Amino acid sequence: MCDSGVLCTIKLLFMKKLLTIIGLSALLFTSCSKDSDTITLQGEGKVTLTMDAVFGNQDFALNKDFTTNGVTYNFTKFRYWLSNVVLVSTTGQEVKVSGSYYLMEETGEIRLTGVNNDLPTTIYPATKRENVVLKEIPAGDYKSIKFSIGVDQKYNDNMSLQSGELSQLNGMTNVSWMWLTSYIFTSASGKVSDGTTTKNMLLETGLNANYKTIALDLPKSLNISASKSTSIVINADLSKVTDGIDVMANPIVGASKATVMAAVAHNYATKVFTVKSVN
Amino acid sequence: MMGKCAFLRIAALFFLLGVAFSCKKENVSEEISQALHAVKLQVPVNFPPVVEHVENPLTEEGIELGRMLFYDVRLSGNNKISCASCHRQDLAFSDGIALTRVGVSDRALTRHAPVLFNLAWAENGLFWDGGSKNLESQALGPLTSADEMFQDLNVLEQELKADPDYVKRFGMVFKDGVRSVNVIKALSQFQRTLISGTSKYDQYKRSEPGASQTESELLGMNLVNSKCKACHSGELFTDDDYHNNGIDATFSDDHEGIYQGHFRVTFNPLDLGKFKTPSLRNVLVTAPYMHDGRFKTIDEVLDHYQSGIKISPTTDQLLYQHQGRPGIPLTQKERQAIIAFLGTLTDHEFITNKKISNPHE
Repeated sequence: MCDSGVLCTIKLLFMKKLLTIIGLSALLFTSCSKDSDTITLQGEGKVTLTMDAVFGNQDFALNKDFTTNGVTYNFTKFRYWLSNVVLVSTTGQEVKVSGSYYLMEETGEIRLTGVNNDLPTTIYPATKRENVVLKEIPAGDYKSIKFSIGVDQKYNDNMSLQSGELSQLNGMTNVSWMWLTSYIFTSASGKVSDGTTTKNMLLETGLNANYKTIALDLPKSLNISASKSTSIVINADLSKVTDGIDVMANPIVGASKATVMAAVAHNYATKVFTVKSVN
Repeated sequence: MMGKCAFLRIAALFFLLGVAFSCKKENVSEEISQALHAVKLQVPVNFPPVVEHVENPLTEEGIELGRMLFYDVRLSGNNKISCASCHRQDLAFSDGIALTRVGVSDRALTRHAPVLFNLAWAENGLFWDGGSKNLESQALGPLTSADEMFQDLNVLEQELKADPDYVKRFGMVFKDGVRSVNVIKALSQFQRTLISGTSKYDQYKRSEPGASQTESELLGMNLVNSKCKACHSGELFTDDDYHNNGIDATFSDDHEGIYQGHFRVTFNPLDLGKFKTPSLRNVLVTAPYMHDGRFKTIDEVLDHYQSGIKISPTTDQLLYQHQGRPGIPLTQKERQAIIAFLGTLTDHEFITNKKISNPHE
């Protein structure tokens, strides 16, 4: 390889050392230990959790008119934090999915302002994201699922703490919310109309009091194992978000409208999410 | 071909990358790597104990990084404004302006820039109305607000990553290197070290050699103790709590509740019009006064407390010192004594200390 002297030899040694460094670094890259579970493992499986947005008994879509209770809704954005997912076995054991902070969304392009400014480089692209894969679930039979909408207090109070997909860079917080130190938990925007007037709609929830945990029984017990893939489909019914609320009178809801915001959060907690199927 | 120097840098970079990406843990309590030097805050003996923030432990390297960032104009969208633009060390980290227009948008703010010292003890909410829960979340507001630094957090990360010195320093202090949340963490570490406790009053209180107060200053101290200390309490000269001190009678809900004080945060009607008690330390160098800087001089402040209190349902009863009527009665001599005492709270060492001044100069 090296007939011609010192320079070539140095180059060769350098390359060998570089490869060693890369190799050692690769070991570091892959040397992660996984978070330990408190349950003895006998094989693990995956579950695909689908949060399927609907409006009543219709499929949800952006830029489409939906009417309920005399009000027509047309959405341009629907986004929320899904967090702290827990699967409960038939024997009552709870399996927490670690780092479960997921941004669920169906949205057109967003010009992020207040966190990322009106720069052409920081447009959040149109995105539809309804699926989450829950990994490393110990094999067994499961009867219910728990999850939360929003970000729990530990992470909501200190926005420098990182877990899962939590981020300040994707528009799920902005200057107004940061003056209160909170992520935006849910956000639905577009237009509402009662036939005569049309108004801009922006329904946001946030703040620790509106962090809600939901427990849903599965229609039949779900067997999770390493040998097959399984799925849980949950419906997110947007027609229930404004249940009991006069949205024509309150089309803009956020931290400064605490009571209406609490009512919206309550709807998310009790009416919006139902289990559709398990496989 | 590359020389030996470049090879070492590449090797170091790979190692740093390896370390940075090797383990993602859900880690709230950060372990300090061996290479960093842990720091314990030097608490003046007359001060209360300080709360440790285990999720952002203090290290020499983190503090120095925070100091560099604090004075770095690249943190703003237009690269002209740093934190120090509105938080000047010579003014105990305030800016001497009621409602500044120095922000990127050129619009006046609705709040006066608060001082930054003794924040290690401010555990009851930051900002004048308490909306910010901790230093680790606080700076996100001014960094991104259009009327302040108007920075894009993605652009911020790119700008800092383009500076090899920052890349090295971030990589040393934080597992995940240059990220906007680590900028805030470093800034928090630096700010916690801003401790003001070496004023003439402190020297006297700690009976340090050569320390003394004049008669007028002592009279002023006794007056402040009896008339002001209910809110401006303890050696920190603030109770870190919220009071309606009667500067307004009504509180409009314009601008997302910015005029409503602590109510904006708690939605408790009892908190309407209540703002954070500022410290009396360094007060003579931190004019103008109140959350919107409406009083230009201490005399105006004393005028207010004497005879300018406005009544609303939440006006603090502590101000009713005039035989059950609102106001704090003061003679001319007493006012002078109070001002003399307040002068002894100016911490000249703090406002000139090179260790917390601009490292880029």
